Amino acid sequence: MRILLEKFSKSFGSTKVIEDMDLDVGSGEMLALLGPSGCGKSTTLFSICGIHRPTSGRILFGNKDVTDLPSQERNVGVVFQSYALYPHMTAAENIGFPLTVRRVATAEIRKRVAEIAALVHIDNLLDRRPSQLSGGQQQRVALARALIRRPDVLLLDEPLANLDAKLRLEMRSEIRRLQKETGITAILVTHDQVEAMSMCDRIAIMKAGEIVQIATPSEMYNDPRTAFVAGFLGNPPISFLKGTAEQGEFVLGDGSIRLPLAALSGMPDGTPLMLGVRPEHFGNGGDVPVTGRISFAETQGRENLYDVMFADGSVLRSIQPVRGDLKPGDDVRWNLDSKAAFVFAEDGRRL
Amino acid sequence: MAQKRRTSANFSSLPVILLLGLISLPLLLMYAYLFIDTVTDSQAGSLVPSQFTLRHWSFLWETKTGKPNIWRVTFNTFIFASSITAVILLVSSMAGYVLSRLNVPARGVFLAGVMVLHAFPSVTLIIAIFVVLQWIGLYNSLIGVILVKAAIDLPLGIWLMKGFYDTVPWEIEMAGLVDGASRFTVWRRLVLPQIKPAIMALGLFSFLTGWSEFILPQVLAPGAQVQVLSVYLAGLIVDDNNFDFGTFKAVGVFYVVPVLILYVFFQKHLMNIYGGGTKG
Amino acid sequence: MRTSRTLGLVMIAPAAIMILLFYLMPVILTGVFSMTNMSTATGISGGAFQVTQGAVNRLRTEMPEIADAISEPRFVIDEAGIAAVEAAGLASAIAAELRTEHLGEVHASRREAERMIKALKERPSTRQTKQISDFFNRSVINTRFESREALMEGLKKLGVTLTPEQQEAMARATYTGWVWTTDNFRVIGNSPDMAQVFVNTAFYVAVTLLLFNVGYALFLAVTTHYMPATTASIFRAIWLLPRITPVVIYVLMWKWLTWDSGFISMFMGQFGHPPKNYLLDSAYNAWFFVILINGFIGASMGMLVFSSAIKAIPEAQFHASEVDGASRWQQIRYIILPQLRWPILFVTCYQTLSLLASFNEILLSTRGGPGRATEVWSLAAYHTALQNYTGNLEYGLGAAMALVLVVIGVILSLIYLRVFRYDTLISKPLIED
Repeated sequence: MRILLEKFSKSFGSTKVIEDMDLDVGSGEMLALLGPSGCGKSTTLFSICGIHRPTSGRILFGNKDVTDLPSQERNVGVVFQSYALYPHMTAAENIGFPLTVRRVATAEIRKRVAEIAALVHIDNLLDRRPSQLSGGQQQRVALARALIRRPDVLLLDEPLANLDAKLRLEMRSEIRRLQKETGITAILVTHDQVEAMSMCDRIAIMKAGEIVQIATPSEMYNDPRTAFVAGFLGNPPISFLKGTAEQGEFVLGDGSIRLPLAALSGMPDGTPLMLGVRPEHFGNGGDVPVTGRISFAETQGRENLYDVMFADGSVLRSIQPVRGDLKPGDDVRWNLDSKAAFVFAEDGRRL
Repeated sequence: MAQKRRTSANFSSLPVILLLGLISLPLLLMYAYLFIDTVTDSQAGSLVPSQFTLRHWSFLWETKTGKPNIWRVTFNTFIFASSITAVILLVSSMAGYVLSRLNVPARGVFLAGVMVLHAFPSVTLIIAIFVVLQWIGLYNSLIGVILVKAAIDLPLGIWLMKGFYDTVPWEIEMAGLVDGASRFTVWRRLVLPQIKPAIMALGLFSFLTGWSEFILPQVLAPGAQVQVLSVYLAGLIVDDNNFDFGTFKAVGVFYVVPVLILYVFFQKHLMNIYGGGTKG
Repeated sequence: MRTSRTLGLVMIAPAAIMILLFYLMPVILTGVFSMTNMSTATGISGGAFQVTQGAVNRLRTEMPEIADAISEPRFVIDEAGIAAVEAAGLASAIAAELRTEHLGEVHASRREAERMIKALKERPSTRQTKQISDFFNRSVINTRFESREALMEGLKKLGVTLTPEQQEAMARATYTGWVWTTDNFRVIGNSPDMAQVFVNTAFYVAVTLLLFNVGYALFLAVTTHYMPATTASIFRAIWLLPRITPVVIYVLMWKWLTWDSGFISMFMGQFGHPPKNYLLDSAYNAWFFVILINGFIGASMGMLVFSSAIKAIPEAQFHASEVDGASRWQQIRYIILPQLRWPILFVTCYQTLSLLASFNEILLSTRGGPGRATEVWSLAAYHTALQNYTGNLEYGLGAAMALVLVVIGVILSLIYLRVFRYDTLISKPLIED
């Protein structure tokens, strides 16, 4: 079912958290709300499931306006960060609870709990209480509980934040599998870009209560609209150089380094700029040579990560296949891929 | 973090233990003799019991003239204490939830009021309450004194319950709502079970304070029909015609044993409540 | 759609009603009663008008003639009296003559009336004369009138007519119910007895608080902190006993300890001291035990609060200070005590209030004795209003005394509220429905 937010605003007292947000999530799509903490992504989620009331604007599920509908009548499934399992109930009772409060017959509940438990692979754990389950198992129970009512919408609030690294990897694909199998429209709230990129059809990056950009993960990675977006996606992260435009060239700080960039042609001289270069675009393959000194080296097993410092003190990061010939202090002359570098205005707008 | 030893090898704790033991001696002595004296007789001027006797316990099977029957009194005390417990648990578990979680007008004012009352010395109101109960005809009735005692203990109960509810994660309630449960169902089926231990502790505490209460029943319900153990025992002690410490103590032991049993079994719970409900 | 609001109002209603009935109303009524002279004598509901001897005495200073007039018996020849004479089976001529000749006469004294009766044609005997005169006795002394109008009517029948001012004075003097007055506060302000009780209270609260509720509680908390866990919990359990034990039994044990047949007497007897009641033999001893009895109970709350506050101090601080070479005393002085500032303030506030108000223990042990040596304010209020030996319970005065405590209580608990920043304890509900 399609989810539509129109001119949605939310304030708490006098603090405006979200102002005039528009969001359109297609039926069967999985969308990530990605952003740093405090950007309003959880507030958006809570407003969609009815725990918060919008200050103004409309929320629609399909063609139905649910803005004033209480949570109980929205038919949404939510997986909370802490899973919010009911500690005094067994896994089966937890999963069956949404049906119990809807007064579904006991036999029917038992049948559907068994089905859904099989779907999330916890059929053998149904008699346990949450405290007797591992984090991943609790997560699966929470998912089952969210799905059993066949919700129109599945909302996931940082569902992987409390899991250790290995489980997180497993649950990532698990949640995606379930979402695909059930064909349910889902919104994932996360501050982890890897999670967002690996699990979702589209990502909406939020900053200070606004959606900065909505796009598919690869579009967003390759074509960020702002420096914020570029900085948020990618690991190791993109590095930025500050400089000015001069005769179609990017001039770094003190002028010691000049980079001819096609994108800058026609720009008035002296325009302050930011250049964003991803680590994989600085090294051996590029077209513009730059000289600097290795200030930091770190091996990541398959690849090595180098920080290269230039005369004015600014730094570019480079990621390269493992090589043993370089150490901090060495001078290098590497190439920068000028076509892949992003040019941003001083305020972070992509040019 | 359970019960970690805080002592360090650098210091010996023996001196403080001895010192505190010494100070605690009078207290222990009083308790020891409370029990010893009920089943023994001693020579005048001696502290060493000389013979075993059960005569001090005769109040259990003989009703003294002018005094109510001990079983009647015990029954009254039990009714008194358990009714208070029931009222306090019911009323404060609801009010505490509202103050912790629900959006009602004047919630802050009410909470401040509860907090002030919790510290307020309510026994100063006893004169007015006495007159009020006479007016409405509840003077010398168990119901009247139960309501008064419950009301007086209510602010503490509400305050404690609010604190307990505050520890229940919001997400549990949110999950309940999106699962389709009403606020009432969420409270009843999801939140209340989380604070069972707290309810248990508050219930225990209310029962004990009800069981021990003296001044309210003494003033508001002194009649023989509604007498409770504290009033009964105080009446025995001031009665100069039947001065017998052995009997006083036997009644005292009869009265205190339920308290001590509950205390021994639920010490941890009670420590928490006696120490405050005052996480302010 | 504000379901939670409705639900909230319903769920908080019982608590609100109980608090309204048993806190707010009593607080207001304490104020109201304190402005009256309500007592056993006046009753608590409205009164009647009765010309008692006392009322006459009061009136005598203001209007002596009228006082004399109403205190004298009056004999009025009226229909009711004549009917009674007829019913008494006397010669019917007597009644007939009284009706025709004497109806409406008022005789100022029995002698006068009897002279008239004796002079009747039927010549009643002396015994009969007395009997007949009794039927016409309309004296107001000790007659109850349900309303002011009835009183005035009765007086008028006697031939006593009063000016409005005199009526006012008469009504005031003969009213048996309670009236509004500020005398209670005058009594509290002027009586040296009250001043003594006030001093007693201040002494009692200050000393008990300092020595036990805070001082000894701190001592217990700190010493048990430095003990192995089991030993510590045993000591804490022992010192919680006085609070757990019902107060009647607790005080009974102290009585056993201090009475002339009790432990101390016997113990001192071994050294040749004659037995005596150590609880009540002197004001000094009485205070000593009163403070001990209350202090032992009061120490437990502080002990628990302070203990948990000490437990909350990160253990690393203790290890670090030991490594730094701090002695145990220095640890207490520089690490524990500074971090107990708030708990100490809290306990002080809280316990001041409960010490001010509670009189259970003193009532049960010394009853304020010997004499009134250990009478404290709340106990004095209790004695005044609810239990005294003269039998006249002065609710009004007692309420005025209680009001003093109520006012102190309200002020202190408001301070307490401010100090503990209740606003930080209330947070907005996260679910908005």
